[in-house]
Amino acid sequence: MSDGIQLQDVTKTYQRGGEELRVLDQLDLSMEAGHFYALMGPSGSGKTTLLNLVGGLDLPDSGSVQVAGQDLGGLRGAALSAWRARSVGFVFQGFNLIPVLSALENVALPLALTPLSRKQQRQHALAALELVGLADRAKHRPGQLSGGQEQRVAIARAIVTDPRVLLCDEPTGDLDRDSADQVLGLLQRLNQEMNKTLLMVTHDPSAAARAQRIVHLDKGRLGGVEEVETQDPPGALA
Amino acid sequence: MSLLRLVPRQLLRHPLRTLLTIGSLAVAIFLLCILRSLVTTLEATATTARNDRLWVQSAVSLFVGMPAWYPDRIAQVDGVQNVARWQWFGGYYQDPSNFFAQFAVDPQEVVEMYPELVVVEGSAEAFLAGRNCCMVGRGIADDFGWKVGDVAPITGALFPHPDGADKAWEFEVAAIYEPGARNFDDRTLFFHWKLFEETLTKPDESPGVGAIVVRVKDDADPSTVMGAVDELFMDGPQRVQTTTESEFQAQFVSMFGNIPFFVSAIGGGVLAAVLLACINTMLMAAREQRREAGVLKALGFSDTRVGSVLLFQSLFLTLVGGGLGMFLAKGIEPGVLGAMSAIMPGFMIETETLGLGLLITVLAGLVAGILPALATRNLTVIAALGARD
Ligand SMILES: Nc1ncnc2c1ncn2[C@@H]1O[C@H](COP(=O)(O)OP(=O)(O)O)[C@@H](O)[C@H]1O
Ligand SMILES: [Mg+2]
Repeated sequence: MSDGIQLQDVTKTYQRGGEELRVLDQLDLSMEAGHFYALMGPSGSGKTTLLNLVGGLDLPDSGSVQVAGQDLGGLRGAALSAWRARSVGFVFQGFNLIPVLSALENVALPLALTPLSRKQQRQHALAALELVGLADRAKHRPGQLSGGQEQRVAIARAIVTDPRVLLCDEPTGDLDRDSADQVLGLLQRLNQEMNKTLLMVTHDPSAAARAQRIVHLDKGRLGGVEEVETQDPPGALA
Repeated sequence: MSLLRLVPRQLLRHPLRTLLTIGSLAVAIFLLCILRSLVTTLEATATTARNDRLWVQSAVSLFVGMPAWYPDRIAQVDGVQNVARWQWFGGYYQDPSNFFAQFAVDPQEVVEMYPELVVVEGSAEAFLAGRNCCMVGRGIADDFGWKVGDVAPITGALFPHPDGADKAWEFEVAAIYEPGARNFDDRTLFFHWKLFEETLTKPDESPGVGAIVVRVKDDADPSTVMGAVDELFMDGPQRVQTTTESEFQAQFVSMFGNIPFFVSAIGGGVLAAVLLACINTMLMAAREQRREAGVLKALGFSDTRVGSVLLFQSLFLTLVGGGLGMFLAKGIEPGVLGAMSAIMPGFMIETETLGLGLLITVLAGLVAGILPALATRNLTVIAALGARD
């Protein structure tokens, strides 16, 4: 079994005003470990839904989802939560930091679920903040940071437990050009230097161009997978 | 980083709202403690009074005196060990607003009959030795700055000094007592009957006796003695009414009649209103923290843990409020004790009352927190983070 992300015959429907809305329709998709994928498609095409299924935030009606060697169909409740804590990191469009916690505390949050000591948690969190270039903002609250900085703190939080897979839902959607560039560069580095498997939803073609492959989604079906050409060979720096 | 660290932080997010909720709960618990303590104090007064002391008063009213020869006659009744005269003096110190109780009594007998009067400064012997001596409670001694050896000038409102209405009676403070039981206050002045009688009356002109306290012998039956005393003056010249001391005090307690009912009604009403405020605060908090709860769940925190953050916020809120209320109540306890000593000696907030306050505080925390906590627990990540296209 592969280390990457496999969706087989995945169907997901939502009830909407008594009508059944088929958001993902018998989707087959396979993504390799250690690669950086961009996920594109029109609004409402099911990108977020797909990300949620891969991240174990939601379950498909039928079909199977395998992530980093784990079949999510066999997990429920606390086991699914524990798997999430270990195996995936989330980066959202709206950053979703906890406003009453400092940058450092936000980053350290997922470590509360590990057996690390307080001191070790602090050290890990500081290291993650350093990696995103914000060690000097450790004590700042989210409200005292710019959007770009907030998103980088959110990325530090997503990687602090060293998960195999990073799931990013329009991470640059709320950012200006420069901040977006910084965030995208950071994601690229995480893929290249730390060999993270990345799946990033985006509307922005130039953002998608930073990935190695672009997955197109259309009305819940696969529109095709496109190789990005100007990219360094995958794994060159790993 | 434990999730518990979030609890105070989230509450401090809206300092004013948190403060108002804490404040209203503090007031409610404060009121509850004080009101309930009024009831328990009244009850304690009635139950610690003793049955081996009888109070004899005129059958007409407590305010009508009995003939001066009654005490000697009563002393001869079988089973009577001791008899003491009591007369309400009704004076004041310097200003009529300095109200406290003074009694002219038979000093020797009162000291013998009331082991509850524990002398802490000076001595009972000194009080007995001088006819112009008095024994005062610690409370008024402190209030008026009286020390042993000082003279306490008391203006007689009911019994003006024969040398002129503005001349004060002068009593030398020979003993200061503290009450050894809850039915006694620490704001009473006792002085010698002899001084009272001799200052006031020309020979043969007795002021009468307001009340007579009878100590029943240990082996005698108080009710038999009571009957015998009442029987004594059945045919005049003035009938008497004899009761045990506990009944005697209970007649004052019964003047407060429905206090327990009012306490429950007021306390319950205030509490219900405050509880609604707490619930409202917590529902608002849950709504605001909805998205954050979703994030915590996405990070891998269990539903129960994320939900409990809300419950702990509620408990934290009520415990601080309730704790503050109890602290304030305990803080003003000495003040109430002083202010109310005349009508309600021994005011005290019992540990049980504080325990009840704590119980109500915790219950309020649970009630206000349980719905937001459950709603947060049952929230799915998808619903919490919302669809953002
Ligand atoms: N929890 C939900 N309940 C009902 N409908 C939903 C829910 N989540 C998403 N949808 C609908 O499913 C469709 C796909 O949503 P989504 O995956 O968020 O699309 P995208 O992220 O590609 O814009 C949309 O029409 C959206 O309105
Ligand atoms: Mg979306």
